[in-house]
Amino acid sequence: MKPENLLLRSPTSRKLTTGCEILDECLRGGFPCNSMTEIVAESGCGKTQLCLQLSLCAQLPISLGGLDGSSLYLHSEFPFPFRRLHQLSRSFHQSNPSIYANHNDNPCDHVFVQNVHSVDHLFDIMPRIDSFVRNSKKRFPLKLIVLDSIAALFRSEFDNTPSDLKKRSSLFFKVSGKLKQLANKFDLAVVITNQVTDFVESSDGLSGLRIGNLRYLCSSGRRVVPALGLAWANCVNSRFFISRSDKIVCKEKTENDESGPSSVSRRAQRRLDIVFSPYLPGASCEFMITREGICAVQA
Amino acid sequence: MEAWRLPVSSSIRGKLISAGYTSLSSISSVSSSDLARDVNITEEEAFEIMKLANQASGSNSCNGSRSLINGAKNAWDMLHEEDSLPRITTSCSDLDNILGGGISCRDVTEIGGVPGIGKTQIGIQLSVNVQIPREFGGLGGKAIYIDTEGSFMVERALQIAEACVEDMKEYTGYMHKHFKANQVEMKPKDILENIIYFRVCSYTEQIALVNHLDKFISENKDVKVVIIDSITFHFRQDFDDLAQRTRVLSEMALKFMKLAKKFSLAVSIYRTHYYTSLTLTRLSLSRGHTQPVTLRLALILQSQVVLLNQVTTKYTQGTFQLALALGDSWSHSCTNRVILYWNGDERYAYIDKSPSLPSASASYTVTSRGLRNSSSSSKRVKMM
Repeated sequence: MKPENLLLRSPTSRKLTTGCEILDECLRGGFPCNSMTEIVAESGCGKTQLCLQLSLCAQLPISLGGLDGSSLYLHSEFPFPFRRLHQLSRSFHQSNPSIYANHNDNPCDHVFVQNVHSVDHLFDIMPRIDSFVRNSKKRFPLKLIVLDSIAALFRSEFDNTPSDLKKRSSLFFKVSGKLKQLANKFDLAVVITNQVTDFVESSDGLSGLRIGNLRYLCSSGRRVVPALGLAWANCVNSRFFISRSDKIVCKEKTENDESGPSSVSRRAQRRLDIVFSPYLPGASCEFMITREGICAVQA
Repeated sequence: MEAWRLPVSSSIRGKLISAGYTSLSSISSVSSSDLARDVNITEEEAFEIMKLANQASGSNSCNGSRSLINGAKNAWDMLHEEDSLPRITTSCSDLDNILGGGISCRDVTEIGGVPGIGKTQIGIQLSVNVQIPREFGGLGGKAIYIDTEGSFMVERALQIAEACVEDMKEYTGYMHKHFKANQVEMKPKDILENIIYFRVCSYTEQIALVNHLDKFISENKDVKVVIIDSITFHFRQDFDDLAQRTRVLSEMALKFMKLAKKFSLAVSIYRTHYYTSLTLTRLSLSRGHTQPVTLRLALILQSQVVLLNQVTTKYTQGTFQLALALGDSWSHSCTNRVILYWNGDERYAYIDKSPSLPSASASYTVTSRGLRNSSSSSKRVKMM
């Protein structure tokens, strides 16, 4: 076994841009390669939106913060938002026409989608990723794996009995070990989404155990904790948390409709927090979801 | 055999004994220059005494009267040795204080804590700090970093290395001019070069690497710290046979101990994971181990972790509790153990197990420059 020379590694590990400058600045360039990043959020916060955007941004050339590669999107939450991906890819194509000009293809051609029904199915798929990466085309080698979401797989299948929980946590380490191995071997970025559960104040539980920079996670006015517990938290390298709060963002008064007080638009405010990460200090960034994708709001 | 039996002049014998060198082994355990300084004699004389002492103890061991096994040491010598052992600073003086000056060489130190508490940060900090030159009170050694989780980030290591170099420059500002002239210029690049980094992707690789370490370190003698981040990760999957896991782990632990003693280096194991499970699960995990499941850790953490005291006082089964991963048998495998935890918004370190240090806790903070004191005097950096 030979040690790695750290000087030969680029001083900053390669990052995958989120497609938004402000968000990138908050994450020091985006999602790191050779690392596993988890996005935790309740439903409707934009996990999937962010993942879709990442899988398109991976195709950007390295000079623009992309990985010059394709992406594999494993989804366990049905249905897969094909329509939305298509919509995003059109605007992506429009803003980056030069990438596809000579090859007569479009961004959707380089996002591989695979459904995952169960944990067993996932273990069935993972060994095949290896050969998939090897055989992937020269033009866009696989550079990003998205698993959306891990919680959907594990929350349904296991009982709340000691033996099941024990089995479950050893499976977490297996999934994570395998994905990290792939990430290391092919310098991939791995992004995994996770759901939340409500924080229940109990006298004997450890749900209140603090993990990371935030004292507690709050979304839609409720206290939440990431699903799958402490064992899973040990499996990821970085954890980001997206929260949402319904706030009146702007009062749009259209000129032709002066009388309507109902023109107050309520827009969900979304916020990304860094819960823990080996290279990032605690920070946060607000963003919104537009037709073109995710874009941060300057504070 | 006592020192007064040595065939030397009575004045030197008197000096030897008054300086505390009463036994032969205490003489042979130091270098001749140290002896000369301590006893206030010339180096030649000291060398002569050493030679005599070695001869005497050699004939002594042949007789087999005193030490049954060659290489046995008495506690007094070991105390001397221990005091002279260098320690690796953590860059956080509060933490250094409770650790007795830093992470000690020759020991296996285990650091545990929840995700995001700063275990990897301590690891990177130590791998940088071990390289601080001797002139600055460091060890001037190299570091081996074994990464099982993939959390080591070069950019973060570079950041900490840069801060370390800056601090050293600031320090030389207070020193004599002639010293400034001949100080070695250290660059962040050199620091990165001296971190020997292994990325381990499975437990077989991990075992293979640990077996290989002995050879590797004897080829690279200036390695002073081995950091494993984390010991657990690969051992928490795929091990249905827990008895086998226990065997594999204790074998590995023995190797660490041997390495640490042999090369007097510090081994920091990051048993990074807290293990939450039902008590039932935990019982089954520690199966094969004769001791009853102790709730020691839970008791210690009770003031920090919500309502854990109820776990230990009210219920014995079917309730949650926190413990370090890998079961109880592993607890015997390390010399020192430090537990990191949150207390409010501050990070704390607690000495859970140590043969020589009292239990104590200290707060620390992780800044952009690395590990630092969390007191307001050092201007706690709130990073946004």
